[in-house]
Amino acid sequence: MSFIHLHVHSQYSFLDGASTIDDLLQKAKLLEMPAIALTDHNRLTGAIRFYEKAKALDIKPIIGLELSLEGGYHLTLLCKNKQGYSNLCRLITEAHLSNRGKAPLASKEMLAKYNEGLIALSGCSKGELPFLLNNGKIDDTKAASDFYRAVYGYDFFIELIRYPQKEYMANSYQLIEFAREKGLPVVATNNVHYADMDRYKIKELLNAIDQNISVSQLNDFRTVEQYLKSAKEMNELFSDIPEAVSMTAEIAGRCNFEPELGKLHFPGFDVPEGEPESYYLSKIALKGIQKRYEILSPQVMERLQYELATIEKLGFCGYFLVVWDIVRWAKARNIRCQARGSAVDSLVVYALEISTIDPVKHNLLFERFMHELRREPPDIDLDIDRRRRDEVRNYVYDRYGSENVSCIGTINTYMARGAIRGVGKALEIPKDTVEEACAGIHWLSAAQLLQKMDARPELKNSDIYHRPEMEDFFKMCASIDSFPKHLSVHLGGLLIGDEKLSGMVPLEYSSGGDIISQYDKDDIEKLGIVKMDLLALPTLTVIEDTITNIRKNRDIDIDLDNIDRNDPQAFAMLREGKAIGTFQLESPAQREMAGRLLPDRYEDIIISISLVRPGPLKSNMDKDYLPRRHGKKAVTYLHPKLKNALDETLGVILYQEQVLKVAHDLAGMSYAEADGFRRAMTHDRSGEEMEKMRESFISSAAKNGVSRKISEKVFEQLAAFAAYGFCKAHATAYAELAYQTLWLKCHYPAEFFAAILSNQPMGYYPPRVLLAEAKRSGVKILPLDINRSLRDYSVEGDAIRIGFMQLKGISSEAIESILIERDKSKFNSFRDFILRVGINRNAAENLIKTGACSAFGTADRLLSEIPKLFNLKHKYLKGSLPMFADINIFDVTTPEISKGSRGADMFIERKLLSLDISAHPLDFFNISSDVTHMKDLKDKGTGKIVSIAGSVIRYQTPPTRNGKRVMYIIMEDGTGIADITVFGDIQERYGNILFREGWLLVKGKIQRRGPKALSIIAQELSALTTG
Amino acid sequence: MAKLIGEPVKVHQKQVDEDTSITAFIWRKRLYRVNEVINWWREPADWWAGNTLRFFVQVDATNSSTCTYELYKMGKSWFLSRVLD
Repeated sequence: MSFIHLHVHSQYSFLDGASTIDDLLQKAKLLEMPAIALTDHNRLTGAIRFYEKAKALDIKPIIGLELSLEGGYHLTLLCKNKQGYSNLCRLITEAHLSNRGKAPLASKEMLAKYNEGLIALSGCSKGELPFLLNNGKIDDTKAASDFYRAVYGYDFFIELIRYPQKEYMANSYQLIEFAREKGLPVVATNNVHYADMDRYKIKELLNAIDQNISVSQLNDFRTVEQYLKSAKEMNELFSDIPEAVSMTAEIAGRCNFEPELGKLHFPGFDVPEGEPESYYLSKIALKGIQKRYEILSPQVMERLQYELATIEKLGFCGYFLVVWDIVRWAKARNIRCQARGSAVDSLVVYALEISTIDPVKHNLLFERFMHELRREPPDIDLDIDRRRRDEVRNYVYDRYGSENVSCIGTINTYMARGAIRGVGKALEIPKDTVEEACAGIHWLSAAQLLQKMDARPELKNSDIYHRPEMEDFFKMCASIDSFPKHLSVHLGGLLIGDEKLSGMVPLEYSSGGDIISQYDKDDIEKLGIVKMDLLALPTLTVIEDTITNIRKNRDIDIDLDNIDRNDPQAFAMLREGKAIGTFQLESPAQREMAGRLLPDRYEDIIISISLVRPGPLKSNMDKDYLPRRHGKKAVTYLHPKLKNALDETLGVILYQEQVLKVAHDLAGMSYAEADGFRRAMTHDRSGEEMEKMRESFISSAAKNGVSRKISEKVFEQLAAFAAYGFCKAHATAYAELAYQTLWLKCHYPAEFFAAILSNQPMGYYPPRVLLAEAKRSGVKILPLDINRSLRDYSVEGDAIRIGFMQLKGISSEAIESILIERDKSKFNSFRDFILRVGINRNAAENLIKTGACSAFGTADRLLSEIPKLFNLKHKYLKGSLPMFADINIFDVTTPEISKGSRGADMFIERKLLSLDISAHPLDFFNISSDVTHMKDLKDKGTGKIVSIAGSVIRYQTPPTRNGKRVMYIIMEDGTGIADITVFGDIQERYGNILFREGWLLVKGKIQRRGPKALSIIAQELSALTTG
Repeated sequence: MAKLIGEPVKVHQKQVDEDTSITAFIWRKRLYRVNEVINWWREPADWWAGNTLRFFVQVDATNSSTCTYELYKMGKSWFLSRVLD
């Protein structure tokens, strides 16, 4: 008799399911099961991918879940139809949202409210009926069963679970007896938690991690039987009650819910009466375009009409209006807000002032963003000033109704370090051992850990990964690879529904209190619900703050829309590699590219941003382009028809938009077809499919008069490029911000660095590196001062003063108190400061140690006064001492100059401010005199052997063409920064040092890949030691 | 009333690959003929301490008298776990 599993947990039962959906379905396929249900705990997170994967294997998917009820009971629910799915979404949403900060629990009222379309099984041993019955509460059991029967009618079943162990079997017999007495149907399940029996260990491991205890402390009922058993095993197990097995097929037959994947759901936009959305959109776009262009050319108008017609045809007018409305609202409140990504390809987006980039001027193609052959929801991502992003988000909630809007959930999964820490704790591995095991691991999944142990030098050369007693431990870590840990908020993603979201998507609270979808963004897209990314971009905050600083400091209003886009000073700075702090241009790879490209015009920034990507670098696009750029290689085209598409990049394909143009110009494809062609080539295709595409391209080109030989070559180039090229629209949107930050840094360094230091964390470098760069840019750094510092970094002429927020141990309330009191009158003594300000002793001490109070005496003296002053303050606050009664307690003394040792000052600065102001820690290491300062590296020629010493800022291992790992280390020594390249042989030799040492001495050879591009090829590495 | 034993036994099976096909076992040099396999189950082991899964069989067996015996298999070895009156 066939058997169908109706109670199955996957990895989306979050630390309770020990097999993936893939593994469960593969096993079901192997067992020739015609259908299978997914019933994870309190979440539908895996439902959509489960549905798709099961369909692909020709297995009927049944969507459901195991719900937690008030009283701690469980109930298994399955969707019969669309209404059942909607009710399940509403039910689980209400169970979560009505228990904020606690575990989700559904009430009986909720069950009754959302009962239609659902089948209920009485649940596992934690089900209300089994539990009550097992505890001899017969009357309560009867009452409960009457309730479920009343709510679910003939769709309520007594669930029988048998693990061949006495107590379970006994409970099953009791339930059968009860069902017979009450005339209720029974159904057999196996409460599956893993595909195969041996995964029971993983389930226990996950349970221990979940409960934050060791596996030996687990108190749960232990069994090995919760695996996906065959129909034969289940039939044998229930041989005394075959109807329980046959009922599984009957129930599966009742469950016929098919999610409507691909159907788009758009929120409507409230347009003026009598004006359809398309009319209203055209109206505002026309109005907008007139503002954008002084003279409207026929080309611009034609394009605008074409885009509007396409948007209308696709039914996306409402979506564009929604985005327009959000941006309009933000801009009216001076919130910096603009589009990024392929949306920038659209003239309508530009006309609506959603983007600042003119797509006509920059040669951008609308079809890269949208066309009528591509039936996917449009995606306009917005970058918003980080500080004010939540204001915009709140507006969306207010405008569209909080029940129609939610954040998007993202599934956090186990990577190697998380797995090591989690498994380590569960298996009671000593903490030191766990941390040692984590130390050498960077950018690895838990599964890769085993694969790379004998390949990566930092793992291979370390004893911990090769101790025999650790072998099983690392295998355990690998076995939970990619398992979900928890749901969190997807950065920036917002869902806007056309109806109450909870009927379409299950929702819950994130740990931070946001309402999030249980589905991730991929599943949301499949469900066709409009997703909008409102991304918090700190660069926009920095730009805004810099402009405010300039206004305050110099009384100048900067209009960034009208600055010189080809400013020679800004580009000279970029060519010199002085881009630290700028958006997108500050990474070592970008700084090196600037030294090779020698940018001198705005378009160079777009090129640089597009080139310095793993794909283009892997496919050597830089090596094609740069010689042409510097006149060292002739600019040629395989065919004259390619000139139009490739002229802007000297005959080399750099942008995705160019693929469309090439396919259009050479093979006569429409741009929409050309985008389909590009997308098809981007995905993995079989040889046969590629051959078909090649032949189609060649024959179309032949009709256009292009020879087979040429079109074959062009096709090869396009095929090689398609996977790697960058979207020009995105690069252009980023280039605009990159240039603005470059220009501001160049002309107003103090204002710029004050802004960027005030907005940490952001960017590539820690504050101490930014501060050193500010000094190198001629900005004077002023210390903390209780009478001068503000909360953030502030500008004083050409100097910046450190703000209170940089100090460790000081609260926002204390800062606020300082600023309020100082507004009344400046502090005239340390005593005055302590008595007036609400600050704790630790913060007061830190202020003294960092020199913030040095105007009132030496650090030693002020520190010695602290106990007396706080005692006094305490008495004042209690009211036992009148104010100023102590006036003679302290001697009035002349301020002394604080005398600390240089080393001590440096130590305090690092510890309390995370900055190097008075000295650099490197001064206290043993460094030989032949070590080159990083500022002097620029004078060294190619091939010169140098030694440098400094602290490691960060490591990078970008993908390489040949797959071999190349490591880039950024170091700094207080005079500058250096980029070190570490190849495989050196990684091999110094595996023990890599990732483990913060201070390095590097001996290596200077390499110059361009006139201004410099890096050091490491030959020897050693750890620095203090003197 | 059960008596804990925990001693190794030698088991005779009808089919080598089917652990429930026990026909007899030898304990302390005495042969016990199995009349009926009453129940079987698997119990998780303390795998973190290096122990493996245990397979239990409860049988009705006769030597001089008939009793219920609980045997278990760990790895390839069989043990008598308990004797139940």
